[in-house]
Amino acid sequence: MQLTRLALSGFRNYAELEIEPEPGLNVFVGANAQGKSNLLEAIAMLGTGKSFRTSKDVDTIRYGADAAVIGGEARVRAGSVNLACTVAKSHAGTRKTYTLNGSGVRYSNFLGKLRVVTFVPADLHLAGGPPSLRRAFLNVALSQEEPRYYRELVRYRKALQQKNALLRTATTIDPELLAIYDRELVDAGTQIMLARHRFVEAIAEAGRAAHARFSHGAERLDAGYESNIVFERPDPHAIAAAFEARLQHVAESERARKAAVAGPHRDDLSLALDGHSLAAYGSQGQQRTAVLALKVAEYVVLRERSLEAPLLLLDDVLSELDEERAGAFLAGVGDYEQAFVTATQMPGTLPQRARTYVVRNAHVDTGVAAC
Amino acid sequence: MPSSGSVAGPVAALINEFSKLPTVGPKTAARLVFYLLNRPRHEAQALAEAILAVKDRVRFCSICFSLTENDPCPICDDDRRDARIVCVVAEAKDVYAVERSGAFKGRYHVLGGLISPMDGIGPAQLRVKELVERIGREDPHEVILATNPNAEGEATALYLSRLIGPLGVVVSRLAYGLPIGGDLDYADEITLAKALEGRTTL
Ligand SMILES: [Zn+2]
Repeated sequence: MQLTRLALSGFRNYAELEIEPEPGLNVFVGANAQGKSNLLEAIAMLGTGKSFRTSKDVDTIRYGADAAVIGGEARVRAGSVNLACTVAKSHAGTRKTYTLNGSGVRYSNFLGKLRVVTFVPADLHLAGGPPSLRRAFLNVALSQEEPRYYRELVRYRKALQQKNALLRTATTIDPELLAIYDRELVDAGTQIMLARHRFVEAIAEAGRAAHARFSHGAERLDAGYESNIVFERPDPHAIAAAFEARLQHVAESERARKAAVAGPHRDDLSLALDGHSLAAYGSQGQQRTAVLALKVAEYVVLRERSLEAPLLLLDDVLSELDEERAGAFLAGVGDYEQAFVTATQMPGTLPQRARTYVVRNAHVDTGVAAC
Repeated sequence: MPSSGSVAGPVAALINEFSKLPTVGPKTAARLVFYLLNRPRHEAQALAEAILAVKDRVRFCSICFSLTENDPCPICDDDRRDARIVCVVAEAKDVYAVERSGAFKGRYHVLGGLISPMDGIGPAQLRVKELVERIGREDPHEVILATNPNAEGEATALYLSRLIGPLGVVVSRLAYGLPIGGDLDYADEITLAKALEGRTTL
């Protein structure tokens, strides 16, 4: 897929902006705090509806403006789509609305129309950081790919919140009510686990291949789905049965601890190098190389599954890497249809044909194609 | 609090009262007050009296817990309405939504909300005990669970069906032409009538 137009209004430091990106590589070059990353953030929000930099939507509204509007047009396999995401100030904080081809739609119908794989410096902690980072990695990729996954995730989170509230606050817990939330958790959780199992299988294979190239075959990367609920076979019945049995087993301890302790909200993605846990034993360099391989795998798997290349967004990340790794990353991704990269200076590692944009104080000048 | 330092006492007081209302911020409150200042006295008086009448004369029906001026409410008091079918809704406003559809000729039971532990609402905070007592007393043939098709509405319906199913009453749920995650309130009359007609036994 390919973004053909990006229009911003009241977004971050941009009052108004309109650009028409090219297929292939688009590079935003500029000093810090000029608005490079804001452009990638905006593009990502057209895909996921959410910022990869902040959980406070109000931060995306320009000082003095009432709303931030991100609009875009994209060419996709099925034709073209027109997307807009609006964050408006309201008495309750902010309100976010979405439009698809000119009509207002729910978030779940907006999500994933433009698929993006983002790679930002914070992702470099993916291998060594807490499990929540790796769950978020799985959720962002899977939610874009399967609208159903996102729906089940929302259902699961809601039931989990209700169950935790019931365990925490009720003086006597109504077993019938608890059973209703457990039923929801099992129904939604089964679909989540099944999707994660299949996805991790796919990225494990693609990640191993990418990693072998990065490490010149010296080390072997293994990625595995570390499901909190242990199941024998990856089919819905076996997973649901295992989850139910586990919930019964922990029922007493959940009441004692006043919290839901079992389920996919405690899943992890295990990463090992030649059989040794990367989180525990990997050097920083080894962890970074593994993350690069995972990101390549995410991109490759999303492209294979949807038969369409997602947009690749690299925010300030190539400059964090040495030249060899940066070059290997782009080579590993292979045929990207369109990529957006930010850099403080034109990176020497980039391929010859790239469209560059000079970003200075919220103004974007279209440079000449670097030859 | 709105910036009331520069305006006269009664004006500031009314702005303050208006801004306590849901969805009304200080700006809107001020607009309402200045609008009212420009209207004739009898209009303001009609508004004030309507507000007081709601408080003084509207109460909960002791049978269905809907809002009413007379107890029992006109619906509970209407012999032509079928007492063998009870439609359970979350709020009094849902009674008006179902009535608008014109497709229901039974009685109602208003829960006063939906089960949601994270909002501090369990079965004990709702008129669930009263529903069970009423089923024992009136022995209806069917109970229709007409809570909204969102997460809380579904959980509440499921809870109630488990609770009252064993009482020997047919428990049914609205069929869904209703938008998932939607609101009875916003469903048009035809959709709601169809949902009532096609209800499924749980
Ligand atoms: Zn009544």
